[in-house]
Amino acid sequence: MSLAARHLEANGIPTVVMGCAKDIVEYCGVPRFLFSDFPLGNPAGRPNDPQSQAFTLELALRVLEAAPGPRTTVQSPLRWSADPAWKLDFSNIARLSPEEIARRRAEFDRQKEIARTIRTEPQAAQ
Amino acid sequence: MTEEEGFGFAPEDDVPIPYLQRIRDYYQALGYGAPYRWAHYAEVPFAPLQKKLCDSRIGLVTTAAPYHPDKGDQGPGAAYNAAAKFYTVYSGDSAAEHDLRISHVGYDRTHTTAADRSTWFPLAQLRLLAAAGRIGEVAPRFHGAPTNRSHRTTLDTDCPELLARVREDKADAVVLVAV
Repeated sequence: MSLAARHLEANGIPTVVMGCAKDIVEYCGVPRFLFSDFPLGNPAGRPNDPQSQAFTLELALRVLEAAPGPRTTVQSPLRWSADPAWKLDFSNIARLSPEEIARRRAEFDRQKEIARTIRTEPQAAQ
Repeated sequence: MTEEEGFGFAPEDDVPIPYLQRIRDYYQALGYGAPYRWAHYAEVPFAPLQKKLCDSRIGLVTTAAPYHPDKGDQGPGAAYNAAAKFYTVYSGDSAAEHDLRISHVGYDRTHTTAADRSTWFPLAQLRLLAAAGRIGEVAPRFHGAPTNRSHRTTLDTDCPELLARVREDKADAVVLVAV
C-alpha cells in the first residue's frame, strides 16, 4: 500500500496512508501517514465505534491538507486500551511454545501452497 | 517509589509494535532463513494539494478483498485464508454497498475479530464527509490493491494500474487504507 501511495504521489496525486504498522510504512517512506496505534486490522478506527471512525478519517484528511512535506506522520491520540499489554502478543516468538511454533510452521507451508496454486491457475483467481 | 515513577512516564513497552523485528524473528524461528526484504526508500515523493478538500474529489484504495462464498472462511474471526487473496487490481462502485473482508492478510487475530468492516474500509464515513461538504465528493469508484509479496508485481503491474484507474476517476487526492 505504501508503494501505491508513492507511485500516485510521484505522478502528481496527493495521498494519505491510514495504517497501524508504523515502522513498516515509515521504512518504505510515504508522503503522508496517519498512524493509529491499534492492533493490525483497524486502520480506520475502533470496531463498532462510528465516532472513533469519523475522528480517524477526519484526522487523515487533516494530514492530507496540512502536511508540510514528505514523511509526515501523525499519530492518532486514540488509545486501543489503557493497558498496552496487547502489543506484546503479535507474532511474538518469545511467547510461543515449541509445539505451537511447529504447528504454525505447518500451517504456513499449507497456506503458501494454496497461494501458489491460485497464482499459477489464473482462472481460480478470477 | 523510584524517582522515575513520579514523572508520569509510560511503560517501556508502550510504543508502536516493532513489526520489522518481530516478523523477522518470527519467521526465522519458524525455520525460514532468508528474511523478507521490506520495501525501503531514502527518497519520498510529495505532491501538494491543488484544491481545497471541500472542492476535491477523493479516491479510496483498500487492501481488503471482496467476499466470495466459495473461498472458505473469510471471517469475522477467520484464520489466515490464502485462498481469499486476489492478484489483480479490482474496482467497485462507491455508491453501492460492498462486503469486503480481510481474512487474506496478517491482521492481529488475537486482539481484533474483523467484525466491523468500517475499521478497515471507511467508504461510509467518506460519504458522510461528502454529504457534510467536508470534501467535494467521493470518487465514483474505490480500488482494491493486491497484497502481493512480489515487489516486482506491485511496482510494475499493480501501481501503474491503480494510477490509471485513479486518473480515469479524475480523483484529486487519494486515501489509502492499509490492513
